[in-house]
Amino acid sequence: MAVSQRSGKSSRRRQMEAAMTYPIDWLEERSGLVGGIRYFLFRKVPGDTNWMQTLGSATLTAFIVQAITGVILAMYYKPDPNSAYQSIQHITNDVTLGWLVRGMHKWGASLFIILMFFHMARVFLFGAYKYPRELNWIVGVILLATGMMEGFTGYLLPWDQTAYWATVVGINLNGTAPILGPFLAQFLRGGAEIGPDTLSRFYSMHMLLIPGGLIGLIGLHLYLVVRLGVTSPPWSKDAAGMEATTNGAGPATNGRTGLTRPAARGTWRRNGGDAE
Amino acid sequence: MMSLEERRAQFTKYKQDVKDRGKPFYPFAMFHDTIMSLVVVSIIIALACVWYFTSGEDPNTCGGKDSCLLGPRYAEPADPGTTNFVPRPDWYFYFLFYLLRIFKWPNSVILGTVGIPTILLIILIMMPFLDLRRERRVLRRPVAVVAAILTVLSMGVLTYKGATAKEALASEVKAAVPQWAQKQGFTNNKEAVAGANAFATSGCTACHTYLGTGGGNLGAPDLSAEGTKGKGVQGLQTYISDPSKFGNNVMPKFASLGDTTLHQIATFLDASKGPK
Repeated sequence: MAVSQRSGKSSRRRQMEAAMTYPIDWLEERSGLVGGIRYFLFRKVPGDTNWMQTLGSATLTAFIVQAITGVILAMYYKPDPNSAYQSIQHITNDVTLGWLVRGMHKWGASLFIILMFFHMARVFLFGAYKYPRELNWIVGVILLATGMMEGFTGYLLPWDQTAYWATVVGINLNGTAPILGPFLAQFLRGGAEIGPDTLSRFYSMHMLLIPGGLIGLIGLHLYLVVRLGVTSPPWSKDAAGMEATTNGAGPATNGRTGLTRPAARGTWRRNGGDAE
Repeated sequence: MMSLEERRAQFTKYKQDVKDRGKPFYPFAMFHDTIMSLVVVSIIIALACVWYFTSGEDPNTCGGKDSCLLGPRYAEPADPGTTNFVPRPDWYFYFLFYLLRIFKWPNSVILGTVGIPTILLIILIMMPFLDLRRERRVLRRPVAVVAAILTVLSMGVLTYKGATAKEALASEVKAAVPQWAQKQGFTNNKEAVAGANAFATSGCTACHTYLGTGGGNLGAPDLSAEGTKGKGVQGLQTYISDPSKFGNNVMPKFASLGDTTLHQIATFLDASKGPK
Protein backbone atom coordinates (compact mmCIF):
# COMPACT_ATOMS: atom_id res chain seq x y z
CA MET A 1 0.00 0.00 0.00
CA ALA A 2 2.54 2.49 1.17
CA VAL A 3 4.72 1.77 -1.80
CA SER A 4 1.91 2.23 -4.30
CA GLN A 5 0.80 5.48 -2.59
CA ARG A 6 4.25 6.88 -2.81
CA SER A 7 4.64 5.83 -6.41
CA GLY A 8 1.23 7.35 -7.15
CA LYS A 9 2.33 10.73 -5.79
CA SER A 10 5.58 10.68 -7.68
CA SER A 11 3.83 9.68 -10.86
CA ARG A 12 1.43 12.64 -10.46
CA ARG A 13 4.43 14.87 -9.91
CA ARG A 14 6.02 13.36 -12.95
CA GLN A 15 2.86 14.12 -14.91
CA MET A 16 2.88 17.73 -13.72
CA GLU A 17 6.52 18.14 -14.56
CA ALA A 18 5.91 16.64 -17.98
CA ALA A 19 3.01 19.07 -18.52
CA MET A 20 5.18 21.99 -17.52
CA THR A 21 8.09 21.04 -19.72
CA TYR A 22 5.83 19.97 -22.59
CA PRO A 23 5.89 23.35 -24.41
CA ILE A 24 9.65 23.52 -24.04
CA ASP A 25 10.07 19.96 -25.29
CA TRP A 26 7.64 20.68 -28.12
CA LEU A 27 9.67 23.69 -29.21
CA GLU A 28 12.98 21.90 -28.81
CA GLU A 29 11.85 18.89 -30.84
CA ARG A 30 10.70 21.08 -33.72
CA SER A 31 13.40 23.79 -33.70
CA GLY A 32 16.36 22.92 -31.52
CA LEU A 33 16.12 26.51 -30.24
CA VAL A 34 16.04 25.54 -26.56
CA GLY A 35 19.28 23.64 -26.94
CA GLY A 36 20.74 26.63 -28.77
CA ILE A 37 19.76 29.06 -26.02
CA ARG A 38 21.00 26.63 -23.37
CA TYR A 39 24.30 26.35 -25.21
CA PHE A 40 24.56 30.15 -25.42
CA LEU A 41 23.81 30.65 -21.73
CA PHE A 42 25.81 27.81 -20.23
CA ARG A 43 28.81 27.85 -22.57
CA LYS A 44 32.05 28.26 -20.66
CA VAL A 45 33.97 31.50 -20.69
CA PRO A 46 37.48 31.91 -19.24
CA GLY A 47 37.35 32.27 -15.46
CA ASP A 48 39.36 35.50 -15.56
CA THR A 49 37.10 37.59 -17.83
CA ASN A 50 37.32 41.24 -17.00
CA TRP A 51 34.88 44.16 -16.55
CA MET A 52 36.24 45.64 -19.77
CA GLN A 53 34.77 42.64 -21.56
CA THR A 54 31.26 43.89 -20.86
CA LEU A 55 31.69 46.73 -23.37
CA GLY A 56 30.49 44.61 -26.28
CA SER A 57 27.21 43.70 -24.62
CA ALA A 58 26.88 47.32 -23.45
CA THR A 59 27.13 48.39 -27.09
CA LEU A 60 24.42 45.87 -27.96
CA THR A 61 22.25 47.34 -25.20
CA ALA A 62 22.73 50.83 -26.64
CA PHE A 63 21.73 49.46 -30.04
CA ILE A 64 18.58 47.89 -28.57
CA VAL A 65 17.72 51.23 -26.93
CA GLN A 66 18.12 52.87 -30.35
CA ALA A 67 15.92 50.24 -31.99
CA ILE A 68 13.09 50.57 -29.45
CA THR A 69 13.11 54.37 -29.25
CA GLY A 70 13.49 54.53 -33.04
CA VAL A 71 10.36 52.44 -33.60
CA ILE A 72 8.40 54.74 -31.26
CA LEU A 73 9.75 57.89 -32.95
CA ALA A 74 8.78 56.49 -36.36
CA MET A 75 5.15 56.35 -35.17
CA TYR A 76 5.10 60.15 -34.83
CA TYR A 77 7.76 61.40 -37.24
CA LYS A 78 6.79 62.59 -40.73
CA PRO A 79 9.58 62.35 -43.32
CA ASP A 80 8.46 65.32 -45.39
CA PRO A 81 10.20 68.72 -45.46
CA ASN A 82 6.90 70.51 -44.84
CA SER A 83 6.05 68.63 -41.67
CA ALA A 84 9.28 66.99 -40.42
CA TYR A 85 10.31 69.92 -38.23
CA GLN A 86 6.80 70.33 -36.78
CA SER A 87 6.59 66.61 -36.05
CA ILE A 88 9.91 66.82 -34.18
CA GLN A 89 8.59 69.77 -32.16
CA HIS A 90 5.36 67.84 -31.53
CA ILE A 91 7.27 64.75 -30.33
CA THR A 92 9.53 66.81 -28.08
CA ASN A 93 6.96 69.18 -26.58
CA ASP A 94 3.51 67.57 -26.77
CA VAL A 95 3.61 63.76 -26.95
CA THR A 96 3.59 62.11 -23.51
CA LEU A 97 7.20 61.27 -22.68
CA GLY A 98 8.05 62.04 -26.30
CA TRP A 99 10.93 64.17 -25.07
CA LEU A 100 12.33 61.16 -23.22
CA VAL A 101 12.09 58.87 -26.25
CA ARG A 102 13.66 61.45 -28.55
CA GLY A 103 16.26 62.41 -25.96
CA MET A 104 17.22 58.78 -25.45
CA HIS A 105 17.47 58.25 -29.22
CA LYS A 106 19.56 61.40 -29.65
CA TRP A 107 21.96 60.70 -26.80
CA GLY A 108 21.85 56.94 -27.20
CA ALA A 109 23.33 57.45 -30.67
CA SER A 110 26.37 59.18 -29.19
CA LEU A 111 26.74 56.53 -26.52
CA PHE A 112 26.46 53.78 -29.13
CA ILE A 113 29.34 55.32 -31.08
CA ILE A 114 31.45 55.88 -27.94
CA LEU A 115 30.87 52.31 -26.76
CA MET A 116 31.83 50.93 -30.18
CA PHE A 117 35.14 52.83 -29.94
CA PHE A 118 35.72 51.66 -26.33
CA HIS A 119 34.88 48.08 -27.27
CA MET A 120 37.30 48.27 -30.17
CA ALA A 121 39.99 49.71 -27.89
CA ARG A 122 39.46 46.80 -25.48
CA VAL A 123 39.76 44.23 -28.28
CA PHE A 124 42.92 45.97 -29.46
CA LEU A 125 44.39 46.13 -25.96
CA PHE A 126 43.71 42.43 -25.41
CA GLY A 127 45.12 41.51 -28.81
CA ALA A 128 41.82 39.69 -29.27
CA TYR A 129 41.77 40.32 -33.03
CA LYS A 130 44.50 37.73 -33.58
CA TYR A 131 44.10 34.18 -34.87
CA PRO A 132 41.46 32.80 -35.11
CA ARG A 133 39.33 35.92 -34.53
CA GLU A 134 40.49 38.01 -37.53
CA LEU A 135 37.12 37.77 -39.26
CA ASN A 136 35.27 39.04 -36.23
CA TRP A 137 37.54 42.10 -36.06
CA ILE A 138 36.69 42.84 -39.71
CA VAL A 139 32.97 42.47 -39.01
CA GLY A 140 33.45 44.84 -36.07
CA VAL A 141 35.16 47.49 -38.20
CA ILE A 142 32.32 47.24 -40.74
CA LEU A 143 29.86 47.60 -37.85
CA LEU A 144 31.67 50.76 -36.73
CA ALA A 145 31.53 52.28 -40.23
CA THR A 146 27.88 51.25 -40.64
CA GLY A 147 27.04 52.68 -37.23
CA MET A 148 28.57 56.00 -38.23
CA MET A 149 26.54 55.95 -41.45
CA GLU A 150 23.47 55.46 -39.28
CA GLY A 151 24.51 58.58 -37.37
CA PHE A 152 25.01 60.56 -40.57
CA THR A 153 21.60 59.64 -42.04
CA GLY A 154 19.80 60.22 -38.74
CA TYR A 155 21.29 63.68 -38.31
CA LEU A 156 19.24 65.09 -41.21
CA LEU A 157 15.84 63.92 -39.97
CA PRO A 158 14.97 66.80 -37.56
CA TRP A 159 15.20 69.02 -40.67
CA ASP A 160 16.52 72.00 -38.77
CA GLN A 161 19.35 74.29 -39.81
CA THR A 162 22.04 72.19 -38.10
CA ALA A 163 20.74 69.05 -39.76
CA TYR A 164 20.29 70.58 -43.18
CA TRP A 165 23.66 72.29 -43.50
CA ALA A 166 25.65 69.46 -41.99
CA THR A 167 24.09 67.17 -44.57
CA VAL A 168 24.68 69.60 -47.45
CA VAL A 169 28.37 69.63 -46.57
CA GLY A 170 28.48 65.91 -45.83
CA ILE A 171 27.01 65.03 -49.22
CA ASN A 172 29.31 67.49 -50.99
CA LEU A 173 32.30 65.88 -49.28
CA ASN A 174 31.18 62.44 -50.44
CA GLY A 175 30.97 63.98 -53.89
CA THR A 176 34.72 64.71 -53.96
CA ALA A 177 35.59 61.02 -54.06
CA PRO A 178 37.14 60.05 -57.38
CA ILE A 179 34.91 58.27 -59.93
CA LEU A 180 32.20 57.07 -57.52
CA GLY A 181 31.84 60.36 -55.64
CA PRO A 182 29.46 62.25 -57.93
CA PHE A 183 27.23 59.18 -58.28
CA LEU A 184 27.17 58.69 -54.53
CA ALA A 185 26.29 62.34 -53.95
CA GLN A 186 23.56 62.14 -56.59
CA PHE A 187 22.19 58.97 -55.00
CA LEU A 188 22.18 60.45 -51.49
CA ARG A 189 20.44 63.62 -52.64
CA GLY A 190 17.94 61.78 -54.84
CA GLY A 191 18.45 64.47 -57.46
CA ALA A 192 20.50 67.55 -58.15
CA GLU A 193 19.42 69.40 -55.00
CA ILE A 194 18.68 68.48 -51.39
CA GLY A 195 14.91 68.36 -51.05
CA PRO A 196 11.92 66.14 -50.23
CA ASP A 197 13.49 63.15 -51.97
CA THR A 198 16.65 63.50 -49.91
CA LEU A 199 14.70 63.45 -46.66
CA SER A 200 12.60 60.38 -47.49
CA ARG A 201 15.71 58.67 -48.84
CA PHE A 202 17.68 59.33 -45.64
CA TYR A 203 14.66 58.22 -43.60
CA SER A 204 14.42 54.95 -45.52
CA MET A 205 18.17 54.31 -45.17
CA HIS A 206 18.16 55.31 -41.52
CA MET A 207 15.33 53.02 -40.47
CA LEU A 208 15.34 50.17 -42.97
CA LEU A 209 18.52 49.67 -44.95
CA ILE A 210 21.25 50.47 -42.42
CA PRO A 211 19.57 48.98 -39.30
CA GLY A 212 18.82 45.84 -41.33
CA GLY A 213 22.49 45.61 -42.19
CA LEU A 214 23.50 46.33 -38.60
CA ILE A 215 21.24 43.59 -37.23
CA GLY A 216 22.65 41.05 -39.69
CA LEU A 217 26.23 42.06 -38.89
CA ILE A 218 25.58 42.00 -35.13
CA GLY A 219 24.17 38.48 -35.53
CA LEU A 220 27.30 37.37 -37.37
CA HIS A 221 29.49 39.14 -34.79
CA LEU A 222 27.78 37.34 -31.90
CA TYR A 223 27.82 33.99 -33.69
CA LEU A 224 31.59 34.31 -34.08
CA VAL A 225 32.01 35.34 -30.43
CA VAL A 226 30.12 32.25 -29.27
CA ARG A 227 31.88 29.97 -31.73
CA LEU A 228 35.43 31.16 -31.05
CA GLY A 229 35.08 32.03 -27.38
CA VAL A 230 36.13 35.03 -25.32
CA THR A 231 39.82 35.76 -24.75
CA SER A 232 41.40 35.87 -21.32
CA PRO A 233 42.99 39.19 -20.38
CA PRO A 234 46.56 38.99 -21.71
CA TRP A 235 48.07 39.87 -18.33
CA SER A 236 46.20 37.13 -16.56
CA LYS A 237 48.46 34.65 -14.82
CA ASP A 238 45.88 32.05 -15.64
CA ALA A 239 45.00 32.93 -19.24
CA ALA A 240 43.27 30.16 -21.12
CA GLY A 241 45.47 28.61 -23.81
CA MET A 242 48.59 30.24 -22.44
CA GLU A 243 51.06 27.44 -21.87
CA ALA A 244 50.48 25.66 -25.14
CA THR A 245 54.03 26.23 -26.37
CA THR A 246 55.80 25.50 -23.12
CA ASN A 247 53.97 22.26 -22.79
CA GLY A 248 55.72 19.16 -24.12
CA ALA A 249 59.08 18.81 -25.76
CA GLY A 250 59.07 22.01 -27.82
CA PRO A 251 61.23 25.01 -26.90
CA ALA A 252 59.75 27.32 -24.29
CA THR A 253 59.13 30.33 -26.54
CA ASN A 254 57.51 32.40 -23.81
CA GLY A 255 59.52 31.05 -20.93
CA ARG A 256 60.71 34.59 -20.20
CA THR A 257 57.37 35.35 -18.55
CA GLY A 258 58.42 33.35 -15.55
CA LEU A 259 54.92 31.96 -15.19
CA THR A 260 55.56 28.33 -14.57
CA ARG A 261 52.85 25.87 -15.19
CA PRO A 262 52.46 24.46 -11.66
CA ALA A 263 52.22 27.92 -10.11
CA ALA A 264 49.57 28.99 -12.58
CA ARG A 265 47.58 25.85 -11.91
CA GLY A 266 47.83 26.35 -8.17
CA THR A 267 46.59 29.94 -8.43
CA TRP A 268 43.64 28.77 -10.41
CA ARG A 269 42.68 26.09 -7.91
CA ARG A 270 42.71 28.60 -5.08
CA ASN A 271 40.81 31.37 -6.86
CA GLY A 272 38.64 29.61 -9.37
CA GLY A 273 37.57 26.54 -7.45
CA ASP A 274 34.52 28.17 -5.91
CA ALA A 275 33.37 29.52 -9.26
CA GLU A 276 32.62 26.06 -10.50
CA MET B 1 55.27 34.84 -35.37
CA MET B 2 54.17 31.28 -34.92
CA SER B 3 53.56 28.61 -37.46
CA LEU B 4 50.00 27.73 -38.32
CA GLU B 5 50.33 24.40 -36.51
CA GLU B 6 51.45 26.15 -33.33
CA ARG B 7 48.61 28.62 -33.53
CA ARG B 8 46.12 25.82 -34.01
CA ALA B 9 47.60 23.91 -31.11
CA GLN B 10 47.36 26.99 -28.93
CA PHE B 11 43.73 27.53 -29.84
CA THR B 12 42.94 23.88 -29.12
CA LYS B 13 44.66 24.36 -25.76
CA TYR B 14 42.54 27.48 -25.20
CA LYS B 15 39.34 25.56 -25.92
CA GLN B 16 40.41 22.79 -23.55
CA ASP B 17 41.39 25.27 -20.81
CA VAL B 18 38.04 27.04 -21.06
CA LYS B 19 36.24 23.72 -20.95
CA ASP B 20 38.25 22.54 -17.92
CA ARG B 21 38.57 25.70 -15.85
CA GLY B 22 36.13 28.22 -17.31
CA LYS B 23 32.90 29.27 -15.73
CA PRO B 24 29.50 29.29 -17.40
CA PHE B 25 28.46 32.53 -19.14
CA TYR B 26 25.22 32.47 -17.15
CA PRO B 27 25.22 33.65 -14.41
CA PHE B 28 28.84 34.80 -14.01
CA ALA B 29 29.68 36.88 -17.08
CA MET B 30 26.04 37.73 -17.64
CA PHE B 31 25.86 39.32 -14.19
CA HIS B 32 28.59 41.80 -15.13
CA ASP B 33 27.02 42.36 -18.54
CA THR B 34 23.66 43.15 -16.96
CA ILE B 35 25.12 45.67 -14.53
CA MET B 36 27.06 47.37 -17.32
CA SER B 37 23.96 47.50 -19.51
CA LEU B 38 21.95 49.07 -16.69
CA VAL B 39 24.67 51.69 -16.29
CA VAL B 40 24.51 52.44 -20.03
CA VAL B 41 20.72 52.79 -20.04
CA SER B 42 20.89 55.01 -16.93
CA ILE B 43 23.45 57.29 -18.57
CA ILE B 44 21.29 57.57 -21.70
CA ILE B 45 18.20 58.46 -19.61
CA ALA B 46 20.21 60.93 -17.52
CA LEU B 47 21.54 62.69 -20.64
CA ALA B 48 18.04 62.85 -22.12
CA CYS B 49 16.69 64.41 -18.90
CA VAL B 50 19.48 66.97 -18.55
CA TRP B 51 19.13 67.87 -22.24
CA TYR B 52 15.35 68.31 -21.99
CA PHE B 53 15.14 70.14 -18.68
CA THR B 54 17.90 72.64 -19.46
CA SER B 55 16.38 73.65 -22.82
CA GLY B 56 13.11 75.16 -23.93
CA GLU B 57 10.47 74.87 -26.63
CA ASP B 58 11.81 77.86 -28.51
CA PRO B 59 14.78 76.94 -30.72
CA ASN B 60 16.45 80.13 -29.52
CA THR B 61 16.14 79.33 -25.81
CA CYS B 62 19.79 78.58 -25.66
CA GLY B 63 20.74 81.72 -27.55
CA GLY B 64 24.38 81.01 -28.19
CA LYS B 65 25.50 77.52 -28.99
CA ASP B 66 26.85 76.73 -25.54
CA SER B 67 24.44 78.37 -23.16
CA CYS B 68 22.32 75.23 -22.66
CA LEU B 69 24.19 72.45 -20.94
CA LEU B 70 23.56 69.93 -23.72
CA GLY B 71 22.41 72.20 -26.51
CA PRO B 72 18.97 73.21 -27.78
CA ARG B 73 16.13 70.78 -28.54
CA TYR B 74 16.35 71.75 -32.20
CA ALA B 75 17.75 74.62 -34.23
CA GLU B 76 15.68 76.91 -36.43
CA PRO B 77 13.80 75.07 -39.21
CA ALA B 78 15.91 74.18 -42.24
CA ASP B 79 16.09 77.03 -44.70
CA PRO B 80 17.97 76.41 -47.95
CA GLY B 81 17.81 80.17 -48.58
CA THR B 82 20.15 81.15 -45.73
CA THR B 83 23.79 81.24 -46.55
CA ASN B 84 25.32 82.37 -43.27
CA PHE B 85 24.72 79.19 -41.30
CA VAL B 86 27.90 77.47 -40.27
CA PRO B 87 27.71 73.76 -41.14
CA ARG B 88 28.71 71.51 -38.30
CA PRO B 89 28.43 67.72 -38.21
CA ASP B 90 27.67 65.55 -35.20
CA TRP B 91 30.60 65.34 -32.79
CA TYR B 92 31.95 61.99 -33.97
CA PHE B 93 32.66 63.50 -37.36
CA TYR B 94 34.55 66.48 -35.89
CA PHE B 95 37.91 64.81 -36.51
CA LEU B 96 37.11 64.54 -40.22
CA PHE B 97 35.66 68.04 -40.20
CA TYR B 98 38.83 69.47 -38.73
CA LEU B 99 41.09 67.29 -40.85
CA LEU B 100 39.77 69.23 -43.84
CA ARG B 101 41.26 72.44 -42.53
CA ILE B 102 44.68 70.96 -43.07
CA PHE B 103 44.12 70.35 -46.77
CA LYS B 104 43.48 73.13 -49.24
CA TRP B 105 41.16 73.14 -52.19
CA PRO B 106 41.48 72.02 -54.91
CA ASN B 107 44.74 70.10 -55.11
CA SER B 108 44.87 68.13 -51.90
CA VAL B 109 41.34 68.35 -50.50
CA ILE B 110 40.54 64.85 -51.77
CA LEU B 111 43.24 63.58 -49.40
CA GLY B 112 41.24 64.95 -46.49
CA THR B 113 37.75 64.02 -47.66
CA VAL B 114 38.43 60.58 -49.04
CA GLY B 115 42.12 59.68 -48.99
CA ILE B 116 43.00 59.62 -45.29
CA PRO B 117 39.65 58.20 -44.08
CA THR B 118 39.87 55.40 -46.66
CA ILE B 119 43.47 54.60 -45.77
CA LEU B 120 42.60 54.56 -42.06
CA LEU B 121 39.66 52.25 -42.69
CA ILE B 122 41.79 49.87 -44.76
CA ILE B 123 44.52 49.79 -42.09
CA LEU B 124 41.88 49.12 -39.45
CA ILE B 125 40.35 46.26 -41.43
CA MET B 126 43.76 44.79 -42.23
CA MET B 127 44.94 45.00 -38.61
CA PRO B 128 44.84 41.23 -37.91
CA PHE B 129 46.94 40.61 -41.02
CA LEU B 130 49.44 43.38 -40.33
CA ASP B 131 50.05 42.19 -36.79
CA LEU B 132 50.69 38.47 -37.08
CA ARG B 133 52.59 37.98 -33.84
CA ARG B 134 50.91 35.83 -31.28
CA GLU B 135 51.92 38.08 -28.38
CA ARG B 136 48.92 39.64 -26.67
CA ARG B 137 50.53 41.34 -23.65
CA VAL B 138 50.48 45.10 -24.06
CA LEU B 139 54.01 45.82 -22.90
CA ARG B 140 55.44 43.34 -25.36
CA ARG B 141 53.68 44.96 -28.33
CA PRO B 142 55.48 48.34 -28.43
CA VAL B 143 54.68 49.13 -32.07
CA ALA B 144 50.98 48.40 -31.66
CA VAL B 145 50.81 50.40 -28.43
CA VAL B 146 52.61 53.43 -29.85
CA ALA B 147 50.41 53.33 -32.97
CA ALA B 148 47.30 53.11 -30.80
CA ILE B 149 48.37 55.99 -28.55
CA LEU B 150 49.20 58.17 -31.57
CA THR B 151 45.85 57.34 -33.17
CA VAL B 152 43.88 58.10 -30.02
CA LEU B 153 45.84 61.31 -29.44
CA SER B 154 45.43 62.61 -32.98
CA MET B 155 41.73 61.70 -33.08
CA GLY B 156 41.29 63.39 -29.70
CA VAL B 157 43.13 66.54 -30.73
CA LEU B 158 41.27 66.75 -34.05
CA THR B 159 37.92 66.21 -32.30
CA TYR B 160 38.78 68.86 -29.70
CA LYS B 161 39.94 71.32 -32.34
CA GLY B 162 36.80 70.64 -34.38
CA ALA B 163 34.64 71.20 -31.31
CA THR B 164 36.28 74.46 -30.34
CA ALA B 165 36.87 75.79 -33.85
CA LYS B 166 35.97 79.44 -33.72
CA GLU B 167 33.25 80.43 -36.08
CA ALA B 168 33.31 83.88 -37.60
CA LEU B 169 30.13 85.74 -36.64
CA ALA B 170 28.67 87.87 -39.40
CA SER B 171 28.63 90.98 -37.17
CA GLU B 172 32.28 90.59 -36.19
CA VAL B 173 33.34 90.01 -39.76
CA LYS B 174 31.40 93.04 -40.93
CA ALA B 175 33.24 95.22 -38.44
CA ALA B 176 36.49 94.31 -40.19
CA VAL B 177 35.32 95.54 -43.62
CA PRO B 178 36.70 99.13 -43.38
CA GLN B 179 40.06 97.68 -42.38
CA TRP B 180 40.00 95.34 -45.40
CA ALA B 181 39.15 98.22 -47.72
CA GLN B 182 42.07 100.19 -46.36
CA LYS B 183 44.56 97.35 -46.58
CA GLN B 184 43.46 96.31 -50.06
CA GLY B 185 43.02 99.90 -51.23
CA PHE B 186 39.43 99.75 -52.50
CA THR B 187 37.94 102.27 -50.03
CA ASN B 188 36.70 104.44 -52.90
CA ASN B 189 35.22 101.57 -54.87
CA LYS B 190 31.64 101.57 -53.56
CA GLU B 191 30.72 98.40 -55.43
CA ALA B 192 33.64 96.57 -53.82
CA VAL B 193 32.81 97.84 -50.31
CA ALA B 194 29.19 96.72 -50.74
CA GLY B 195 30.57 93.39 -51.94
CA ALA B 196 32.81 93.14 -48.88
CA ASN B 197 29.79 93.65 -46.62
CA ALA B 198 27.82 91.02 -48.54
CA PHE B 199 30.84 88.71 -48.34
CA ALA B 200 30.98 89.22 -44.56
CA THR B 201 27.29 88.48 -44.00
CA SER B 202 26.61 85.72 -46.56
CA GLY B 203 28.52 83.03 -44.74
CA CYS B 204 31.59 83.00 -47.00
CA THR B 205 33.85 83.27 -43.93
CA ALA B 206 32.32 80.10 -42.46
CA CYS B 207 34.76 78.28 -44.71
CA HIS B 208 37.06 80.86 -46.33
CA THR B 209 39.60 83.06 -44.62
CA TYR B 210 40.18 86.65 -45.60
CA LEU B 211 43.04 88.67 -44.11
CA GLY B 212 43.09 86.45 -41.06
CA THR B 213 39.33 86.40 -40.47
CA GLY B 214 37.17 83.36 -41.09
CA GLY B 215 36.95 79.64 -40.67
CA GLY B 216 39.31 77.87 -43.03
CA ASN B 217 36.92 74.90 -43.11
CA LEU B 218 36.55 72.13 -45.65
CA GLY B 219 39.73 73.03 -47.47
CA ALA B 220 38.38 76.40 -48.62
CA PRO B 221 41.26 78.63 -49.80
CA ASP B 222 42.24 82.03 -48.41
CA LEU B 223 40.72 84.77 -50.58
CA SER B 224 42.90 87.72 -49.55
CA ALA B 225 44.59 87.79 -52.97
CA GLU B 226 41.86 86.22 -55.11
CA GLY B 227 41.95 89.18 -57.48
CA THR B 228 45.47 88.31 -58.62
CA LYS B 229 44.37 85.00 -60.13
CA GLY B 230 42.99 86.67 -63.24
CA LYS B 231 39.48 85.27 -63.15
CA GLY B 232 37.91 88.68 -63.72
CA VAL B 233 34.71 90.03 -62.20
CA GLN B 234 32.48 88.09 -64.59
CA GLY B 235 34.42 84.87 -64.09
CA LEU B 236 34.24 85.18 -60.33
CA GLN B 237 30.52 85.89 -60.45
CA THR B 238 29.80 82.80 -62.57
CA TYR B 239 31.96 80.74 -60.26
CA ILE B 240 30.26 81.82 -57.02
CA SER B 241 26.86 81.40 -58.60
CA ASP B 242 27.43 77.69 -59.24
CA PRO B 243 30.88 76.30 -58.32
CA SER B 244 29.90 72.78 -59.38
CA LYS B 245 30.14 73.90 -63.01
CA PHE B 246 33.85 74.32 -62.41
CA GLY B 247 34.23 70.93 -60.80
CA ASN B 248 33.97 72.28 -57.25
CA ASN B 249 31.40 70.10 -55.54
CA VAL B 250 32.25 71.15 -51.99
CA MET B 251 31.29 74.82 -52.16
CA PRO B 252 27.52 75.35 -52.26
CA LYS B 253 25.74 77.35 -54.94
CA PHE B 254 25.23 81.00 -54.12
CA ALA B 255 22.97 81.85 -57.07
CA SER B 256 20.19 82.61 -54.56
CA LEU B 257 22.00 85.80 -53.51
CA GLY B 258 20.88 87.45 -56.74
CA ASP B 259 22.92 88.92 -59.58
CA THR B 260 23.34 92.35 -57.97
CA THR B 261 24.90 90.98 -54.80
CA LEU B 262 26.93 88.39 -56.70
CA HIS B 263 28.33 91.14 -58.90
CA GLN B 264 29.27 93.18 -55.82
CA ILE B 265 31.02 90.21 -54.21
CA ALA B 266 32.83 89.42 -57.45
CA THR B 267 33.97 93.08 -57.72
CA PHE B 268 35.19 92.93 -54.12
CA LEU B 269 37.15 89.73 -54.74
CA ASP B 270 38.58 91.09 -57.95
CA ALA B 271 39.74 94.17 -56.02
CA SER B 272 41.47 91.93 -53.45
CA LYS B 273 45.05 91.92 -54.67
CA GLY B 274 46.58 90.99 -51.35
CA PRO B 275 47.43 93.35 -48.48
CA LYS B 276 49.59 96.33 -49.30
